[in-house]
Amino acid sequence: MNKYVVRFYKGGNIRYISHLDLMRLFKRAFKRAGIKLQYSLGFNPHPKISFAQPLSLGYTSSSEYMEFETQLAYSTDLIIENLNSLMPEGLGILSCEKLPDNVKSLAARTKAADYEITIPVNSGIEKDVCNLLREYMSQDQIKVIKHQKKSRKSIEIDIKPLIYSISGDFHNNSILIKTKLAAGNVSNLSPEFVLSTFCEFADIQYERAMVTIKRNDIYFTN
Amino acid sequence: MTISKQLDKLLMQVEKPGRYIGGELHTVKKDLSAISTRFGFAFPDTYEIGMSYLGLQIIYHILNSMESVYCERIFAPAEDMENLMKKESLPLFTLETKSPVKDLDILGFTLQYELSFTNVLNMLNLGGIPYRSAERDSSFPFIAAGGPCAFNPEPLADIIDFFMIGDGEDVLPQVCKTHAQWKESAKDKDEFLKSLTKIDGIYVPKFYNPSYYEDGRLKEIKKNFEQAPDRIKKQIVENLNQAEFPEKTIVPLIEPIHDRAVVEIFRGCTRGCRFCQAGMIYRPVRERSKEKIKQIAEKQLKETGHEELSILSLSTSDHSEIESLVKELMSVCKDNNVSLSLPSLRLDSFSFEVLQEIQSYKKTGLTFAPEAGTQRLRDVINKTITDDDIYSGIEKAIELGWTNIKLYFMIGLPTETFEDLDGIVEIAKNITDTNYRITGKRGRFNVTVSVSNFVPKAHTPFQWHPQDTPDTFLEKQLYLKNKLKKIKGVSYSYHETEPSYLEAIFARGDRRLGEVLIKAVTLGCKFDSWREHFKYDLWMQAFQEMGINPNFYVHRERSYDELLPWDIIDSGVTKEFLISENNKAIKGVQSPDCRLYCIGCGINKRVNCAMEGTL
Repeated sequence: MNKYVVRFYKGGNIRYISHLDLMRLFKRAFKRAGIKLQYSLGFNPHPKISFAQPLSLGYTSSSEYMEFETQLAYSTDLIIENLNSLMPEGLGILSCEKLPDNVKSLAARTKAADYEITIPVNSGIEKDVCNLLREYMSQDQIKVIKHQKKSRKSIEIDIKPLIYSISGDFHNNSILIKTKLAAGNVSNLSPEFVLSTFCEFADIQYERAMVTIKRNDIYFTN
Repeated sequence: MTISKQLDKLLMQVEKPGRYIGGELHTVKKDLSAISTRFGFAFPDTYEIGMSYLGLQIIYHILNSMESVYCERIFAPAEDMENLMKKESLPLFTLETKSPVKDLDILGFTLQYELSFTNVLNMLNLGGIPYRSAERDSSFPFIAAGGPCAFNPEPLADIIDFFMIGDGEDVLPQVCKTHAQWKESAKDKDEFLKSLTKIDGIYVPKFYNPSYYEDGRLKEIKKNFEQAPDRIKKQIVENLNQAEFPEKTIVPLIEPIHDRAVVEIFRGCTRGCRFCQAGMIYRPVRERSKEKIKQIAEKQLKETGHEELSILSLSTSDHSEIESLVKELMSVCKDNNVSLSLPSLRLDSFSFEVLQEIQSYKKTGLTFAPEAGTQRLRDVINKTITDDDIYSGIEKAIELGWTNIKLYFMIGLPTETFEDLDGIVEIAKNITDTNYRITGKRGRFNVTVSVSNFVPKAHTPFQWHPQDTPDTFLEKQLYLKNKLKKIKGVSYSYHETEPSYLEAIFARGDRRLGEVLIKAVTLGCKFDSWREHFKYDLWMQAFQEMGINPNFYVHRERSYDELLPWDIIDSGVTKEFLISENNKAIKGVQSPDCRLYCIGCGINKRVNCAMEGTL
């Protein structure tokens, strides 16, 4: 088996395309690069590509992971070079590694992710973000209402245990929050909940369209 | 704030922001300082629809291969985006450089369907450009239009500065060259328009003044610029093998309606269906050779990475090398892990062989277009498919395991009676019976009867006929509904009558409709081809306020000697031919396919008609 993983960034206007669009983009890039992907068997074969975790539309990332299987063996340098020559502005391959055959999928191994949330606030307002975050985290519970797709029910959950670390700063009229959150199949927390609960807790007015969220890394179990 | 900065904020708030970002593979970047003509190719509908249109790819490629020209794209923003743009005073912009459309030299709209006309006006408005040509001074771009609906340009004559009639490949570069020379000369706007009239296919409406009889009919069209042509000869690209065709097509980042590589295999059609405008205005048939098609297909797949390939033309089975072409394309696709999708082929043994192979697992359904329910009416419209063709094709399909059959019909065709509608019911019934006879089962088999409303179009043999009234359409639709619902396994779908009525108004409208259009847009009409946006009441209000009776355009039978608003456009097909075809239609007499022998439509007096008498 020829299994590889690439780390790539997503930024600029490309952040406005969805996860599925990104998938299509990579499939075409492999075709154009002449890298022959392995196809699944069955009536409707599709190429074996998958991502560690989908990135929400609008987010940028400095570190995304995609794994794929090829029909032939390629050098990792060639994969990086060929794919990079075909990436649109805002996308780029940072590194590539060959994976052992028997390793579990990236999605199954994903456990946490780092996010950077930037919240512009009206000028004149100065916030002691460090202190606010300390108070935010000293709550017993941080409750949110989550809508479950499958059961179509709304349930209340405590997200505090899913926030592994959080720190912050204030400059350029913006609140900057860096946080490590649970990610993956077992437990997962969207940074949207941290944004909304923190701003509610700290009484910060914000316009969602002006907030930017960037994923800085994804962590895996071995 | 630049448009890009302003845009960022909006994009987080709209559906499918990928529509507005540009930057797709194979889009072109140019240094604006070296450009004499900034051309905007505007598609008056959303991104996903416009990007599925092959003409855009052809023109984008041709214009951008010219050093002095930069062609950028503009689409109609969806309603959510439009509202935000208005709120934030963000003008309509190009995808490539995010420039306001007002900064362009020429803004060219493609007119693919009448129901997109309001979007043309709405886009001008969003760009801060006045609707009427007469209200635009030299600070505004020239507004141009082309495409099939430009064959009756009159409803937009007060809005568009110049129309390009016919094939675009040659005329667009000529227009841009003329523009560069005019720009250099620093003369006024009219001088450019005057110099354009020397080019075949260019219609500058302001050089022609129509006048009308008291009863509303067109009396005469008087030129006010002597050198303008009496009639505008459509542009014809004579040799498709030599015509430019893009290999590095733009690959959308978000999913368009058709996400695939496409090669046009021929232009025109020899069948001569009397209701079909495309079959008349795209004459003569010009084929692209099999070798050329394959070469383009392979390059396009390589350059784009597309996972699907399709071929495009009217009546695709009529390509002289269709069998070997399809077989060879199938092998190209197999080698590249690409799927081949074919437009509906005539169902002979060859097409079944092909269909078996390309959709061996998923049988997506078969489509037939008898268009009319009886042989008599099919003779009238010159549709050569026979009952035998239909039934033998369907028998074969059922034997091979197809369980979904779709049938297309039109209602409201000239001379139609309820017997013809009964014919539709009978075909559907016979098909379900055939299935029962072959498979012994009634379940899991579906026949979809899809019925559309006939809209008489300019430049066709049926251009003199009235359209059925909405009430008559409804009566016929309900008649079919009641009869078809009694047959197990048949589903029925039909079009709404109001959009068909509006389409009929503009398909044969005259210059006086321009003010109604402006009124309708002011009242809020746009995206008329989208069911959720179509506002019939506002349209009727616009007609009423402007004092124009739409029935004049729709329900009136015109006489052969009436001067028609589109007579100024010379499609290459003579009026004598259209009259003789209509007379034959009334008598129920078919005309042969031009590949049997020439029936004298007139096009071969202009250019060589290569397929004439080749069968």
